[in-house]
Amino acid sequence: MTTRPWVVCYWLFALSSSCGTAAPATTSRGAPEQSLEPAVRRLSVAELEASAQTLLGNATELAAALPPDARQSDYSRNVAQTVDSLLLGQLFDAARSATAALDLSQPRFPSCARFALPDDRACAENTVNALARTAFRRDPSALEVEQLLALFAVGSDGSDFQSGIALVMRALLGSPKFMYATTLGEGGPGPTQLSSQELGSELSLLISGQPPDEELLLAASRGELASAPGRERQALRLLQRPQSRELYRRFVQEWLGLVGLNGLAKSSQVTTGFPALREAMLVETNQFVDDVFGYQAGSIGALLAGGYSIVPDALASFYGVQPSAPGARVALTAVGRVGILQQAGFLATFAHESETAPVLRGKAVLTRLLCLDLPKPTDLGVDIVFPPADAHATTRERFSRHATDAVCRSCHESLDGVGFLFENFDAAGQLRTSESGRPIDTSGSIRLDGQQLQLSDSVELSSALANSEQVRRCAARQVLRFAAGKTDAAVEQAFVDALQGKSLERRGTFLGLFLEFVKSDWFAWRKPQ
Amino acid sequence: MIRRSSLSISRRAALTALGAGAALAALLPEVRPLRAASSPAKYFIGVYMPHGMAREFWVPRPGFQIAYEGSSLAPFDDAVSFGRSFRDQIVTLEGLDLTAGLRASTVGHDASRVILTGSGKDGQNASIDQFLAVEQGLGKDTPLSSLVLGVGSAEPALQWCISYAKGGTALPKLINPLATFNHAFGQFLVDPDPAASARAAREQRLGKSLLDYWRADLAELSARSPKAERDKLDQHATALRELEKRVLGQTVTCAVPSRPDPTQFPAVGSYQGGEPYFDLISELQIDLMVQAFACGVTRIGTLFLADLSRTHFDPDLPEDVHTDVAHRYASPGRNGKGSSDAASQARLARQNRYVYGKIARILQRLSASGLLEETVLVAMSDMGDPSKHSSRQVPTLLAGGWGGALRAGRHIDLGAEGTPSNRLLVSVQQAFGVESDSYGQSADPSILSGTLALT
Repeated sequence: MTTRPWVVCYWLFALSSSCGTAAPATTSRGAPEQSLEPAVRRLSVAELEASAQTLLGNATELAAALPPDARQSDYSRNVAQTVDSLLLGQLFDAARSATAALDLSQPRFPSCARFALPDDRACAENTVNALARTAFRRDPSALEVEQLLALFAVGSDGSDFQSGIALVMRALLGSPKFMYATTLGEGGPGPTQLSSQELGSELSLLISGQPPDEELLLAASRGELASAPGRERQALRLLQRPQSRELYRRFVQEWLGLVGLNGLAKSSQVTTGFPALREAMLVETNQFVDDVFGYQAGSIGALLAGGYSIVPDALASFYGVQPSAPGARVALTAVGRVGILQQAGFLATFAHESETAPVLRGKAVLTRLLCLDLPKPTDLGVDIVFPPADAHATTRERFSRHATDAVCRSCHESLDGVGFLFENFDAAGQLRTSESGRPIDTSGSIRLDGQQLQLSDSVELSSALANSEQVRRCAARQVLRFAAGKTDAAVEQAFVDALQGKSLERRGTFLGLFLEFVKSDWFAWRKPQ
Repeated sequence: MIRRSSLSISRRAALTALGAGAALAALLPEVRPLRAASSPAKYFIGVYMPHGMAREFWVPRPGFQIAYEGSSLAPFDDAVSFGRSFRDQIVTLEGLDLTAGLRASTVGHDASRVILTGSGKDGQNASIDQFLAVEQGLGKDTPLSSLVLGVGSAEPALQWCISYAKGGTALPKLINPLATFNHAFGQFLVDPDPAASARAAREQRLGKSLLDYWRADLAELSARSPKAERDKLDQHATALRELEKRVLGQTVTCAVPSRPDPTQFPAVGSYQGGEPYFDLISELQIDLMVQAFACGVTRIGTLFLADLSRTHFDPDLPEDVHTDVAHRYASPGRNGKGSSDAASQARLARQNRYVYGKIARILQRLSASGLLEETVLVAMSDMGDPSKHSSRQVPTLLAGGWGGALRAGRHIDLGAEGTPSNRLLVSVQQAFGVESDSYGQSADPSILSGTLALT
């Protein structure tokens, strides 16, 4: 697969006049009325992997070794993550393997380390300092360096300099200071602002999924991150790091529920060779997200109705288009696919093995794009009755009970009204024009921005969603859930309200929303403990 | 480093890894002692079964006949396949609702979360296995406090987990038998290389230094963290204690099972090509768990069995068991409402019987190891009627001797109105000598207390 370059400064100027220029230092407005709780968040496996790579200076196999993340509000970046016995044991083993053959000649280590003898305390201190700064995402204290030097002495005793550093590295990889990102502030009885070190750590992890780089650490130590412009300037810089793309791919996959794609199967009656197709579907979504975030700041409109995608060859015939140059945009409006909701990855994820699932597709749109809370049938005392297979009926006909039974209709009118719009895509996401020998009916409806819209298909839906204020507000909530690592309805509402005066470039693009959050006091302040 | 050649040597040998059993007790925290019970149970196994249950072929016939034509319970009375009948070692328990889930919108597939926690999705308490292992200290003297195993999916998500730590976070599962073997037995294998003991002694010294360092770090973080975050950090402290046991080395005397041959299960994930191997993987996981009990590696285990779609274990059933068997099940249930389709009931019963075959294997292994009488086994699905995704009337299997707290060989019917499953968890904890009369969390505390008459 060819990966497109990660180019972001193209649009940075549209988002901020401060791209690449020094921002004036201003003081914070202070604690907002609604604040997030102070938290201790275990890094997600992806963050642990990225941090370990930075620390070791080369790729690790940490992510493969660790058990998968628990997700909360759909996101793996969340405050519910814990360090359980299995994870700690596997991290212990992985750290031992990863440090067994350290190459101290790498640029990641101070130049003195390559030939240092075990009694070279100056070089040990120099090396330990640099490593701890990366691992802790801040400057270590003198006491912390002393503690690590004591470990260096244990590791190098009767052995060599490298063994001492290897033990320090193991200590850092298993340290709570490495594994947890804190947003505790400086303490005290009232609302608290994050420490300058926490601001740097949070900013970097949230915007790039990586530990802070040298420039950010310096900015943090100079106190520049206490101001909104200071944070924005650093965030805009971090967005240009190519590693950032992984974070936004993951954000979109988790937001839209596409993480399950890799664990999907389809009946051989629907399509053959699905495992290869689902790989291609993941590639398509990732390339498309790279494009929309890289060139259009993560425009919500472009994601939903940009009219194009980046189609891997393995999907070209499935979509009915000619193969294109790697990484090239392909116009897909003519084949009924205008955005991410018509990409096969979304359509196949929200479908059963052998048949479409209007309820799942409708629910995905209503909960993930409009942030609606829907009751479960059992909450209402309703038994789920799966419509029986019927070779002579269309899916719409089989689900007709949803429209005739008053209790079912109370929810399914909206769910199925959206889901039926996608009926021209089968369970694997391939276009179809008929079912059970009858033409497909893709008409449906949605209540959006206070209006009931009658629509003829999902393309019209995507166009409506792309221009919807309700979708933009929901997108802001999703960014906040991802950033906070939890759902906090009061802060979400306050954040959404505060965005209303902002430009469409800011509240209509995901990167604009991330930047607005990072600038805001909700990022920088926490409730009292 | 462990060399593969050591494995044949170590089998059926008394294995010692850096023995430090005596020193260990002093390093472990004090745990609230179990309160008095005459002969409390010692082992716990919780099993999740997929697909709900075909009630028509599950309810025993008069005289506790369980091997009738089509019965899903037949494996428990099949001496040919399992060496003996376990008819006198099981109770079929009818009438439990996963009520805590019904009260907290944690139903359908999500209700697997309720099975051992007695709580909905926002519950903060541990599942009963972790409560016994960690909070009640049943796992403190064994190298591993518990084994959390699965087949097919390692995802720590509501639909895929029955084991939860205090604080409410799902615990990850081991789904690869080789990983299970390494986790449970790897530390006890003896490396015959003469240089190995020197290396091991050094590694122990380094490990102690690391543990001291991490403990101090964690204590410092815990001290400045808000109360709401403490459960999480306590779990980390528990994990460090577990790691400490491994670093310091423990002694077990038992027959270590053979190392599973990974070429026999080249894939292990659901929809990742693992399905053809799920039968073998399930059996290996079961054998390793019971052997870990027999070796004193742990006394607590859970097993999350996989959805059986696409396994082709039963050529007479459709490929997509989930949709075409479980979703198509048509039963009027206990209240007599709804349509009935005998063929659909028989199909689901075949799947249920397959899964009960695996549980019979657990009983067979426990029996052979002499552990059955002291074991509490609970097997449950997240649903009763799977086509309705109903968390009511979930047929439940209890097995083992429960240390005398279960009078087995009978059917218990709690009635059609539905009894909160929390009562089962209360009975389980009492079988281990925990004198508390409630379990779980709910906005409706009335569902949490009470026991079942099991003796």
